[in-house]
Amino acid sequence: MSWIAIGALALVGIAIPLAMMAVSALLRPAVPEQSKSTTYESGEIPTGSGHVQLNIQYYMVALLFVVFDIETVMIFPWAVMYRSALEAGTPLSQALLPMLIFVGILVVGLVWAWRIGAVEWTTSLRAATQKTERQNT
Amino acid sequence: MSLLQIEPTSWLFALSSLGPTVVLVLSALAVLAIDSLSPDARSNTRLAATAAAGTLIALGITVWYLLAGTGQPATGGAISLFSGAIVVDGMGLFFTAIFTSVAALVVVASYDYLEDDANPAAFYSLLLFATTAMSLMAVANSLATVFISLEMASLPSYALVAYLKTNRGSVEAGLKYFLIGAVSAAVFAFGISLVYAATGSLLLPDIATAIGDVTDLAGILGVGILMVAGGFLFKTASVPFHFWAPEAYEGAPAPVSAFLSSASKAAGFAVAFRVFAEAFMPALDVAVDWGLLFGILAVVTMVLGNFAAATQTNVKRMLAYSSIGHAGYALIGLAAVTAGAGANNATVMGAAMAHLLVYGFMNTGAFLFIAMIERWGVGRTFEDYAGIGRKAPMASMAMAVFMFSLAGLPLFGGFFSKYFLFLGAINAGFWWLAAVGAVTSALSLYYYSRVVKALWLEEPTGNLDALDSKPTGLYAAVIVAGVITVLLLPGFGPVIETAEAAAAAVFA
Repeated sequence: MSWIAIGALALVGIAIPLAMMAVSALLRPAVPEQSKSTTYESGEIPTGSGHVQLNIQYYMVALLFVVFDIETVMIFPWAVMYRSALEAGTPLSQALLPMLIFVGILVVGLVWAWRIGAVEWTTSLRAATQKTERQNT
Repeated sequence: MSLLQIEPTSWLFALSSLGPTVVLVLSALAVLAIDSLSPDARSNTRLAATAAAGTLIALGITVWYLLAGTGQPATGGAISLFSGAIVVDGMGLFFTAIFTSVAALVVVASYDYLEDDANPAAFYSLLLFATTAMSLMAVANSLATVFISLEMASLPSYALVAYLKTNRGSVEAGLKYFLIGAVSAAVFAFGISLVYAATGSLLLPDIATAIGDVTDLAGILGVGILMVAGGFLFKTASVPFHFWAPEAYEGAPAPVSAFLSSASKAAGFAVAFRVFAEAFMPALDVAVDWGLLFGILAVVTMVLGNFAAATQTNVKRMLAYSSIGHAGYALIGLAAVTAGAGANNATVMGAAMAHLLVYGFMNTGAFLFIAMIERWGVGRTFEDYAGIGRKAPMASMAMAVFMFSLAGLPLFGGFFSKYFLFLGAINAGFWWLAAVGAVTSALSLYYYSRVVKALWLEEPTGNLDALDSKPTGLYAAVIVAGVITVLLLPGFGPVIETAEAAAAAVFA
């Protein structure tokens, strides 16, 4: 029986936004104007196309960020537990060492990625020419 | 119960029990460290030596533990670590032996394959990390550990398949493998959550005891078990989650195909065997008859894999489909399981484990032969293989051994493993599984012998001058795999005894 309530809630949840869009479509006056369909760039007159290619090197930075992100997620509950664990008599080899090993493994990976040049920013020829073209116009 | 009240596991004891896994992790980190010290040097030899040493030491420790009886009934039974999340026993060690030997062969073969590669450290470390995760899969005793180790093995595999960055086929294969892998991981995780909802535990033995009490949640438990099975079917490349396999094996570098089709498949079966034998046995009567499900899937997988393999013109793709067919044979180990038939269950599952071991050597060897052909740049189809036997007799002889052993001719290791598997199925009352297996094996002889015929009997069609270069590592790996495939015929007794004892301990 409780499923009926959930189903009703889902129906209402879908109906409300649909009804809002339908009602506003019925009520609002239609004023077709070209500037309405242009790309929104914070009120500026849009320049260039909307299809922008980002440098693939951001991807490497994002990947390395994920490593630290997960590391934080793991360290946080450990830090909360740490003091009470020591007070309960857990030896350092059980409380501190595993976390040091965990961070150490990640550091080895980070150092390797750094050493093979994953975070070095290489400038591509095409991007450089595009930049000078933009500055000249 | 608070986390602090759990009796902490002694670290030294845990590290020594998980010796093979620890050695694999350390060797992977050592590969990265060596490359960090001198990133610009041509260090392929040093890296390959480190990786090979790591896998061989891990293999040595595993075999030593198996012989010494670590975690087996003789020395006090399975070793439970980390509040039961990990259990080191005969089955875990048996499968770890498969993974480490396949990884060792692949590392040695990759040495030549990566000769001109800009950054071989990435390849070796990914391979070692994947092997580490597989050795964890073999000892995982909680659904959480199973999921994490399965993902840990999958992620490096995706990168390895797409390792040839500039090769369209390799990148496409990697993307397909990743997409299907992501979907099946989601299905698998959802299945775990449903099982947890019904039984209230993630530990496999606790799930087994809780299944008796699920009264009105039996439906949820059944759906959960089916979804968990889906995750395993992906990892083992069985129908209906097999679509990635031909693409991934064909597009990937051949040593990676060898690794995935042998070690990764065996790892999928390692967890599937443990999870279903230890946790879901009582569910056979309560929730869902998964034995019948695996029976049907085993038949479909055997038929589809072997018939599709028979129609291929590309040798690597033929091997990919044949590897799907072999997943069907190994599925018999789960399909022929019935509630309350302890001894028969252990016999047939042990036979499937032994088949996976023999398959590990013969299939790895066959794919490494393809790696050698790729390095020579001869071609990909059966016609291109014509006459190679005259220019490279040793390797072609080994390839003939692999082919006949995969088909199950009574000259090589592959015969006994299939024989015991089908015999076990018949004894357990599943004669139809054995019948389909025997018929499809007979069919497989047709397409396997086409390779041998092309290698030895046909006249060379193209220019075979490229065969004058002899890649040492590839040759060594292929010959060693061939010798072991032959030796497994007389030496099959200890293998099947170890496997059946390990399976019996899991069912007990």
